Amino acid sequence: MYLYIYDAFLNHKKYANLLNRIENRLADLEIKGKICRLNVLKNMQEVIEDGIKNGVKTVVAVGDDETFSKIVNIIAEMDITLGIIPVNNRSKIAEIIGIPEGEKACDVLAQRLVKKIDLGKINHQYFIDSATISDSQAILDFDKFKISPTTKKSIISICNLGFLSTNQSIYKQRLSIPTDGLLEAVIAPIKETFFSKTKSASQSIFPFKKIQIASKSEPVTVTIDQQAIFKTPVQVSIAPKKLKIVVGNKRLF
Amino acid sequence: MFKGDNMDRPSKNVETIIGPSVKVEGDFNGDGDVIVEGIVVGNLTTKNHLKVGKGARVQAKVTAQSAFIAGEIIGNITAEERIELTASARVKGDITTNSLSIEKGARVNGKITMNGQKKTEPAEASVETKSK
Repeated sequence: MYLYIYDAFLNHKKYANLLNRIENRLADLEIKGKICRLNVLKNMQEVIEDGIKNGVKTVVAVGDDETFSKIVNIIAEMDITLGIIPVNNRSKIAEIIGIPEGEKACDVLAQRLVKKIDLGKINHQYFIDSATISDSQAILDFDKFKISPTTKKSIISICNLGFLSTNQSIYKQRLSIPTDGLLEAVIAPIKETFFSKTKSASQSIFPFKKIQIASKSEPVTVTIDQQAIFKTPVQVSIAPKKLKIVVGNKRLF
Repeated sequence: MFKGDNMDRPSKNVETIIGPSVKVEGDFNGDGDVIVEGIVVGNLTTKNHLKVGKGARVQAKVTAQSAFIAGEIIGNITAEERIELTASARVKGDITTNSLSIEKGARVNGKITMNGQKKTEPAEASVETKSK
């Protein structure tokens, strides 16, 4: 049984047509299920827990990357499969797992190619994409050795699904693979010019399973999937094969 | 095999890159290829290839399967297969390996020990015996 969760921003009338087309396509493919539209009064966690009580085995999140990141945290500990329908073509998660936008995603859902992928875990919260620290005061403690940036400004990204967006030829167009049982710590110094800030090409890449992130002085901020925020010290680890997710043939891993 | 400081050497095993903006302190232990362009203090061990780029500073006991060195190393280096030192290499420590190549201009201050023994598979070993 399927449960479709529409994110709150989809209540805007400009999405009505698209949602109609998605619903029609789901009906054609005979994978229609219960639809829940989130709003200020309807919490995603409650909706999913109610659905599971009623026998839901697959939850499909309809929205954008923020929607998918939120839902991952809720269902990570549950024995259900996640499907996603991105409403625009800006979803990085959808691109990596090979799900096209809009009603085309319904066909991929119907094929039901399910993969178990890794999740990152920061303290007790999961993340699917990446955790970022924009502070050179951070220290990554790998138990036997410690790493610290030597430049004044740098961005540290802990990537699970994220692109390693570097110009280093070896890693060009290469992904942080979400099925390898490893996370990658990517440290990129920032070059500041008068008009812009750019990541330098000479990044550092460290694959790992578990690290502690601390700081040299004041606690630094760790942002996961561009939404939740933690203060150091935090522990980051990999939760291997934690999430069952419907993927497409055009996935990038 | 290697051309100067060219970082474009294709490799399927690249796992760790210690960039120029990073300092590693402690016992670094890697399974895949390691590229060092920054600072390493402590021990540096990898089961695969190690590349120490020009500008890198390593103050560590280094152990690898093979090593290409264009930077500065203070500490003993052991490589099971081979070590290649470029003109910009500065080594202060003992070198132990089976095969060594030193480009003109490289500086080495330390003892060099060549074992002259290749770690070979049993099949290859028998071929060697026949050729003798």
